[in-house]
Amino acid sequence: MSFWQITMKRSVRLSRTYFILGAVMSIYGIGLSNIISLVPSGSVNPAPIDLANSFPILSVAFLSLSALFFSLPVVMLFVYDKNNGVLEYLLSTGLDQLDIFKGYVKASLALSAYLLVFAVILNTVVGFFMGTSPVLLASMAGLTFAIGISEVFLVSVCMVAFSSLQKTPMGANQPLGVVIGIIPMFPALILPLVFPSYAIVIDILIAAVTLLVSLALLLSIGHLILREKLLP
Amino acid sequence: MQKLELQEVSAGYGGEEVIHRISLEMTEPSIYVVLGPNGAGKTTLFRTICGILKPFSGQAMFDDMDLFTSKEARRRIAYLSHLNALPEEMTVFNTLKYYADIEGGDIEHVLDLLSLNDLRDKKFSSLSQGQKKRVSVGKIFLRERDLYLLDEPTSNVDPKISKEIRDILIELSKDKFVLYSSHNLYEAREIGTYLILIKNGELKFFDKIDNVKTREYRVGIKTLNDISRLLPESKFENGYYVVTVDSPREVAKIVNNLVQEGAELVELRELDNPLQEFFEEG
Repeated sequence: MSFWQITMKRSVRLSRTYFILGAVMSIYGIGLSNIISLVPSGSVNPAPIDLANSFPILSVAFLSLSALFFSLPVVMLFVYDKNNGVLEYLLSTGLDQLDIFKGYVKASLALSAYLLVFAVILNTVVGFFMGTSPVLLASMAGLTFAIGISEVFLVSVCMVAFSSLQKTPMGANQPLGVVIGIIPMFPALILPLVFPSYAIVIDILIAAVTLLVSLALLLSIGHLILREKLLP
Repeated sequence: MQKLELQEVSAGYGGEEVIHRISLEMTEPSIYVVLGPNGAGKTTLFRTICGILKPFSGQAMFDDMDLFTSKEARRRIAYLSHLNALPEEMTVFNTLKYYADIEGGDIEHVLDLLSLNDLRDKKFSSLSQGQKKRVSVGKIFLRERDLYLLDEPTSNVDPKISKEIRDILIELSKDKFVLYSSHNLYEAREIGTYLILIKNGELKFFDKIDNVKTREYRVGIKTLNDISRLLPESKFENGYYVVTVDSPREVAKIVNNLVQEGAELVELRELDNPLQEFFEEG
């Protein structure tokens, strides 16, 4: 079993609350994406925005947020391992700081991917029975993965970076990672409402940029953050 | 021939130098005791040797491989810090499995070696401090290495287990390098072959412990009968006949002589550790 797989398993045992919270949020997001189909046709006209098409896209952001909650225990584990000397020991066995960062980030991504698969399947099934357009369902599935994974990637990298750089071993810098990481979520939430015709393109662009920034950030911190920053 | 070499190494944290221009060359597998007061730089020295800290200047090498850049060199080193460095939420078996999964190793061998079989299914967090330390020590024996760095490995461990750990290290040192930091001067003398003394981040002494020169050496001798006649130069203090000699070798002669003269010896006790004086004077 590789380092990231072990880390993922340990995270699952560490805190179940975040997993429950993530699952509840994903169900909330699925409900939100399908609720529009309950509104009788024509009742929202003349509407300033195309709710039928843009509202389900809006739920992508909620599903991404649920993936984020699902993966948070991994970064909590990073701080815990840093404080009790596990990271120091791992460094002494020959791992580099980049190996360690990658291990925790991969574990985050894998955990969130599990939730996203569950959420996308459930959303597609519910949407199918609610009569949502197959094209829209397929778009939502793709966007949920793209935004969700890129979001978790960025937040995880930011959180391990801030936790590593913190001088006092408290882990109090972790929320900074979440705050910075969710910034790309706001355009993903608002812009599809403002430009409904370009909603999918906008979300794909946001996901792509977030992924690239996260990857660059991960590689940078692997070189810029010294091994000594992982000492307890 | 294996060789650990430090060439003018200065290292520390965040730009602040803790150890200054330390040069050492170790070519003989043995136990090297690292002594020094708190804050002297012992841990910094160990972290530099195991490749966690990048030297500000100089170079640390093992078998001519740079210890900071060479992963291969670092894999041949085991480092035991003061902290347990184990995932506390797991059972003893699983904590060892955690590291065995990452770097390989034989868990059953470690459980046998450190008498951990009774604890294997207990949660690590529920163990006593001494038991935790044993498990922590165990992780460095999961697989074989060439260089062992142990930062106070017997702290919080009961005397029986301390002795077991020391015996393991003595056995290991026949063909491995063991660097062992301790505050216990008696323990240092018992197991060490070489002494590395560090004070204020500087190397003050590096040589065989036998070569440590002392001004005097006091030994207390307890007997069942009166031996004041046999040792007229001795002082009687707290039930011991105290004699002062120039070196430990003289003690053997005195004891032989006493036994031949009919002294009934009960105990022979070293009253001052030669390292104590050396340690304080630096």
